[in-house]
Amino acid sequence: MTTGRSLRIGEAVLGGGLVALGGLIAFETFITPTVGRSVVGPALFPYLIAGGLTLVGLAILREAFAGAIAHAEGLEMDGMAVFLVAAGLVVEFLVLEFLGWIPAATLLFMAVSRAFGSRRLWVDALFGLALAGLTFVVFNYGLGLNLPAGSILDLFAPAE
Amino acid sequence: MDTLAALGHGFLVALTPYNLLFSAIGVTVGTAVGVLPGIGPALTVALLLPVTYGLEPTSAFIMFAGIYYGAMYGGSTTSILLNAPGESGSIVTAIDGHAMARQGRGAQALATAAIGSFIAGTIGTAALTFVAPLMVKLALLFGPAEYFALMVLALTTVTAVLGNSLARGLASLFIGLALGLVGIDLQTGQARLAFGVPELLDGIDTVVVAVGLFAVGETLYVASRHRFETEEIYALKGSKWMSREDWSRSWKPWLRGTFLGFPIGALPAGGSEIPTFLSYLIEKRLAKKPEEFGKGAIEAVAGPEAANNASAAGVLAPLLSLGLPTSATAAIMLAAFQQYGLQPGPTLFDSNPELVWGMIASLYVGNVLLLVLNLPLVGFWVKLLLIPRPWLYAGILVFSSLGAYTLNNNVVDLVILWVIGLLGFGMRVLNVPVAPCVVGLILGPLAEQQFRRALAISQGDATVFITHPISAALLGIAVLLVVGPMLLRRRQRNAEAAGTPHSSSHSTV
Repeated sequence: MTTGRSLRIGEAVLGGGLVALGGLIAFETFITPTVGRSVVGPALFPYLIAGGLTLVGLAILREAFAGAIAHAEGLEMDGMAVFLVAAGLVVEFLVLEFLGWIPAATLLFMAVSRAFGSRRLWVDALFGLALAGLTFVVFNYGLGLNLPAGSILDLFAPAE
Repeated sequence: MDTLAALGHGFLVALTPYNLLFSAIGVTVGTAVGVLPGIGPALTVALLLPVTYGLEPTSAFIMFAGIYYGAMYGGSTTSILLNAPGESGSIVTAIDGHAMARQGRGAQALATAAIGSFIAGTIGTAALTFVAPLMVKLALLFGPAEYFALMVLALTTVTAVLGNSLARGLASLFIGLALGLVGIDLQTGQARLAFGVPELLDGIDTVVVAVGLFAVGETLYVASRHRFETEEIYALKGSKWMSREDWSRSWKPWLRGTFLGFPIGALPAGGSEIPTFLSYLIEKRLAKKPEEFGKGAIEAVAGPEAANNASAAGVLAPLLSLGLPTSATAAIMLAAFQQYGLQPGPTLFDSNPELVWGMIASLYVGNVLLLVLNLPLVGFWVKLLLIPRPWLYAGILVFSSLGAYTLNNNVVDLVILWVIGLLGFGMRVLNVPVAPCVVGLILGPLAEQQFRRALAISQGDATVFITHPISAALLGIAVLLVVGPMLLRRRQRNAEAAGTPHSSSHSTV
């Protein structure tokens, strides 16, 4: 259960994050030496946007502490499910180029299914495998895209 | 009669069996993906981008046009049967549409939505045919200062109109603008905010951001709420046909919705929220039985749904003739054009008439195909709603990562997708609208370019934006749009000094 209070903290994190992002952009722009000659250089818009981010961030911080927030009555949330979905994506981008599309997408499919309450791990795995295999074939051979087969294959069949 | 000749030529392009096939594929997959809960038109277009990579541009955009219209049709099915509007344009449809479905009149609600969409889409496309060339003529009068002002206006309306908190809309907009800064500056070739990561030099892709916000962020949110919410799907039963009364109550709302939707959609201040809400209010005022509204009045489905589709056609007018996206979906279409190295705008009509007119002609064709797909085959699409949720969202994420990876064959895009997805989840929880972020990301760099061009021409004289009358007027409207509602709200607050804080939990995507 996420209460109104922790949502208020979330809101404050958003506001603070915006202010921090504005500061980061301003700092990064400041330390980047300007090249080229034009009436308006490449630094003006970053400064403007940094200023905008800071102002909006402050406004949201004010709302967080004093004003109305979203879902003031609290919002029930399943943290484990969020973690599973997010972790599934991390695993996918970590193993994608090594193991290849088919295992990576299958793992993602299983993680998300589990997050949504599916308990039949093997059925999910089979279904995910079928989807991953099908997309691999259709997109690589039918539509000419390059989903990775996985560099692990090179270990077994070194390119000559 | 240049326009008709050009359109005729477009039909010759669109009606070749090859392109007809892609139009048919486009409307079919557009409907199929659009029907899936949680997937609105913007995400449908973004997810189906990879499918078109292998095609040459004309066929690709004919397919796109089909996907775009198909997603609009599919979206109404979801909002009526599941009460899960995939985008803000169908929020209104969902109210009475779902009420009708609950009373066992789902088939009639779907029929009036489909026929209304067909009529609105066809009239809207016809209007687009004639308005787009006029806009091109107007665009030729525009210099960089006017373009800049126009983009500021579009950014303002997307931000100020959506959602109920200006600060939240602006937060989303500025996040988008900040993401748009990343990469090589177009005018000087200087790297900005790339932090030494070579993959960031090309900038952050609009498609990755859109998919991250709409698909990953939404999936994370739905996952977090899945255990606490139940959804009701209503099977179609009884007569599938609209009665004589249904027809007589529907046809006027269809037409009124169309005439609201197209012009508002075509304005640089466009979007589909305003016309659909206006249509609802007008139909309620004109209805013989206004007390039925909210409890399943067919007019409240017919009018807004027509307005929604007509505005979808309207949005294409500034997109094609000015290169100006006014909705998240249009922003993704613009990204698709850029993917092919094309920049929509007046020159596109000269340099690629086949593509532009072939695409417009295919909208007429697509509409007819969609009517056929949606009336007799609606039962088939309804079955898609029954896909088990775990597999549905797992599939959405598999396709999201597929789309993000295949953009540049690059794992870094998947990392960006993940980060943006978490950001989108946070925004969804805190009720921050995501559309301004997507539009800001793609319009920000374009606006900056025009701004700097204008100042280069005026040799640094910043008053060009105010001394040029068109530019001054556009900027004036933009300021009014932000300040006006603020003043109104303040007045209201003063009037009801002890009012309760306004809170609403509907999502505005």
